[in-house]
Amino acid sequence: MNCLQAEEHFSAYFEDALDYQALRGFEAHLAECEACQHEYARFQESVKVVQQLPQIEPSFDFMPTLLERLAEERREFGGVKEIIATGWNRLQDGPRRPKWAFSAVIALILIVAGGGYLYQDGFLSDRDSQPVVVATPTTQPSRVGLPPIELPVSVQRRVRNVDPFSRGGVIPTSRQPMQQHYILKQVSYISTSTRGGL
Amino acid sequence: MPDLDDELMERYRAGDEEAFTLLVRRHQQPLVNFIARYINDRDGAEDLAQETFIRIFKASRRYKPGQAHFKTWMYHIASNLCKNELRNRGRRNRYRVDSVVDGNGDSEQIDRIENAPADVAFQPEVALERKELHDAIQSAIAELPEEYRAPLVLRDLQGLSYDEISETLELRSGTTKSRINRARLMLKDKLKSFV
Repeated sequence: MNCLQAEEHFSAYFEDALDYQALRGFEAHLAECEACQHEYARFQESVKVVQQLPQIEPSFDFMPTLLERLAEERREFGGVKEIIATGWNRLQDGPRRPKWAFSAVIALILIVAGGGYLYQDGFLSDRDSQPVVVATPTTQPSRVGLPPIELPVSVQRRVRNVDPFSRGGVIPTSRQPMQQHYILKQVSYISTSTRGGL
Repeated sequence: MPDLDDELMERYRAGDEEAFTLLVRRHQQPLVNFIARYINDRDGAEDLAQETFIRIFKASRRYKPGQAHFKTWMYHIASNLCKNELRNRGRRNRYRVDSVVDGNGDSEQIDRIENAPADVAFQPEVALERKELHDAIQSAIAELPEEYRAPLVLRDLQGLSYDEISETLELRSGTTKSRINRARLMLKDKLKSFV
């Protein structure tokens, strides 16, 4: 055991918590190392003076102040409970309201919320059944008056993750026919070549 | 045999408000001592100790006697409050050694000393020396890094076991032991001129 290792055992030795093996090693080192003997004596002394520090007592108004604060907390807590209880009772037992009215309101809220959720989730809409269609303007200044060029239709595939606000990543499309100067082009952004451009 | 603190908590939860007052009376002194030594501020310690009891009061419904000891739970709340307080104070060193030690401890003793000059232990020089030593120790504790200070105070000033300290500070047993040893070694060096 060297001095650094011995130092690590100071507390355990002081508290008589070393196992047999460690105890023998530590005591053997201490017996032959004067520096460690000196350091351990100082260590022991400093721990003792720290442990003998006087206890700090709370002041006389500690308890009354705390009890006051606790009473305040109780009042607040009781007040909140009372408000909730009163409100709930009033909702349930309003004198001019028929008894089924409260349940009916709750049921209506649940139906509206559930319907909205189902609609958003796509159960009540069929938007996913349409393929992706992107309208591409083809009218160019140099080709005014000529019939529009029909671009090749690429592999029909849904384009996902295009619109982050659209569930399922499918571009919502309109079923209305496009205007005359537009042609419909089905595009796959994965397989269409950009020919070196962006 | 059920722990008295647990029994008092159970009684309080069952509607006996006096039981909570009794809990406070049992723990107010060690708690104030712990916080004052930790944050080195007596007045601040009383505020934080009260805040600790209020949090215990508010969370009493969630306390489960079998899961943790009341004492470690209380010190856990208090040490978190201390950490927040020290963080809020930032790097401003607000050493209040005098106010910490003066409270009801040494100053009262000094008053008594003047009335009892025959006893060596109560002679003014001895008392002043002792006060100087206590101030030095408190300063040395306050200078320890926080992660060493809390376990040291809990061990050497509050007398908690290593297991209780590990539970309070959510440390592994080995970490707790090595931090306490390290803290004591640091204190030994800081108190070189006194011991």
